[in-house]
Amino acid sequence: MRIFYLFKKELIEIFRQREMLVLIFIAPILQTIVLGYVVTTDVKNIPVQVVNLSDSSHAYRIVNRINHLELFDVKKISYSPEDAVSVFQKGTVKAVIVLRDGFEHGTQTFRYPEVQVLMDGMDANTAGIAAGYFNGIARNYVLSDARKRGFRFPLKNKTVIRFNPNLQSINYMGPGIVALLLTIISMFFTSISIVREKEQQTMDTLLISRLTPIEIYSGKALPLALLGLIEMGIGVVVVVLVFGISIRGSLIYLFIAAVIFLFAILSYALLISTLCTSQQQALFFSWFSMVIFLLLSGLFTPVENIPSAFRWLADINPLRYLIRIIRQVFLKGNDITYFANDLLIMLGITVVILSLSLFNFKRLVSK
Amino acid sequence: MSIFIIREESTVTDVKNRRFKEQVIFANDLTKRFGHFTAVDQINFGVKQGEILGFLGPNGAGKTTTIKMMVGLLKITSGKVWVKDYDVSKDLRQIKKNIGYMSQKFSLYPLLNGYENIEFWGGISGLSCRAIKEKKELISEEISSRILSQKVKDIPPGIKQRIALFSCLISDPEIILLDEPTSGVDPEVRREFWGKIYDLKKKGKTLLVTTHNLDEAEYADRILIIHQGRIVLRGEPSVLMRKEKTDSMEKVFKQAVTNNETN
Repeated sequence: MRIFYLFKKELIEIFRQREMLVLIFIAPILQTIVLGYVVTTDVKNIPVQVVNLSDSSHAYRIVNRINHLELFDVKKISYSPEDAVSVFQKGTVKAVIVLRDGFEHGTQTFRYPEVQVLMDGMDANTAGIAAGYFNGIARNYVLSDARKRGFRFPLKNKTVIRFNPNLQSINYMGPGIVALLLTIISMFFTSISIVREKEQQTMDTLLISRLTPIEIYSGKALPLALLGLIEMGIGVVVVVLVFGISIRGSLIYLFIAAVIFLFAILSYALLISTLCTSQQQALFFSWFSMVIFLLLSGLFTPVENIPSAFRWLADINPLRYLIRIIRQVFLKGNDITYFANDLLIMLGITVVILSLSLFNFKRLVSK
Repeated sequence: MSIFIIREESTVTDVKNRRFKEQVIFANDLTKRFGHFTAVDQINFGVKQGEILGFLGPNGAGKTTTIKMMVGLLKITSGKVWVKDYDVSKDLRQIKKNIGYMSQKFSLYPLLNGYENIEFWGGISGLSCRAIKEKKELISEEISSRILSQKVKDIPPGIKQRIALFSCLISDPEIILLDEPTSGVDPEVRREFWGKIYDLKKKGKTLLVTTHNLDEAEYADRILIIHQGRIVLRGEPSVLMRKEKTDSMEKVFKQAVTNNETN
């Protein structure tokens, strides 16, 4: 019953701050849309220059293929050698494709031009993906041409991609962004609002009141958790309506995962609040932790990329598990048996971090 | 002068026997150290039932530290405090039931209005909905409901202080600790406030009020002057002034502080 009053007070405080309301309800919509469109690893319209030193019809056809793909934006086709480095330094193109006749290779019947791809490595991600595309184009051309001429290859390979057949990044970024929204609101707002009580000295009075530390914590955190869930709901709606991603799994699993995730992330927020004495500090700490959580979450880069020495950082990162679960539910339609382990790990994180922050809290109160 | 500085030569074990029955707060060799800095240095004092004890001293003298130790917000380095027969370091839960505490910053939520603040503090003290409603009516008799419906951040300090005192008393505690309750309000309001404190005394409440305003000292039944963590002077204000042959507390205070520094 006592906790109800804390709850009510907290909600009044949130709704009396107009800036907060904008942050809570407008920001997530914008964020989802902007991030969904912008944060994409799909590579499109790469500016390229073609240097065609071959006069074979093959070279002509390969150039034609490159020219007709949406992936590349051919800026210039030249027929004499050029210095690729100086071209890259100017930055007008990101790749130079050189085709020339390689008379040394192959037999008379199967002779194709050599294709050299020079990439600007400044944007490593794009370079890697584009290089793959170029190789694919050249190989496909050769294979199909050879097949046309009656050559039989002993080995056939075919790639089948399930769940996201076109490998569109929005299909896995969108659900991830939903997880991000939940993190921002619950972590930032909770730690800041607890530290504000310290600044106002209302925390002292709360501590002297009959409330227990657990009651104070939950009274502060639960209203924000509730808002976090509403926010996630908004995010899901935006992702579904704007980006047309369908949810293959059940929303109930999404909700269960979100609630358990909230326990974990709020424990972190409480820990931060016990370490800080001013709202600025709390803001800084939350921001810093969020960047770490985000970068090690698998949202942008696979968790497997993290060197094993730092892998533990990802293991204690609740966002990583939530993103994994949300993607499973959205794209694969998995049920809870597939991610029960992840849920248990998040509960484990909650227990550890919450005890740590309660311990810290008590230590600080009676210093 | 030094005859007024009474050091009770006692050990913790016999303190309980020696202390007077009517003393509801009793501190024995209470000490607080932060690292090498000693904020409160072996102070001894008692507050009797129905008494107003003024806790006087400049900022940083150790007043707030002492109060915070009494309510369990700070851990005691050494020494003991009893509040109503309960040892603070053991039975904090019991003490919380009997204490009303008002911090320097009034402990009100600036974004909530007056009524909502009352409701909140009443609610978390375990009052029933009806009791809260009665309390709201009670405060409306004193402060206009137009002001009480405003956000606390827009309410003038004098009224804020009254709302804060009201919320601090909402669960009808026997012992009331007021930490700098009159800082930041004008003299007129301050006088009114002391009127309220007298009313509480008449009801049999025990009060401990800290202040750095020396002219307020005269309102208290007894005062303790604390300087650099030590009690440098204690007694009834009128007696102290007579001894110093002066009519201002300021001179008494200055004398006590100089004595402390020369010692």
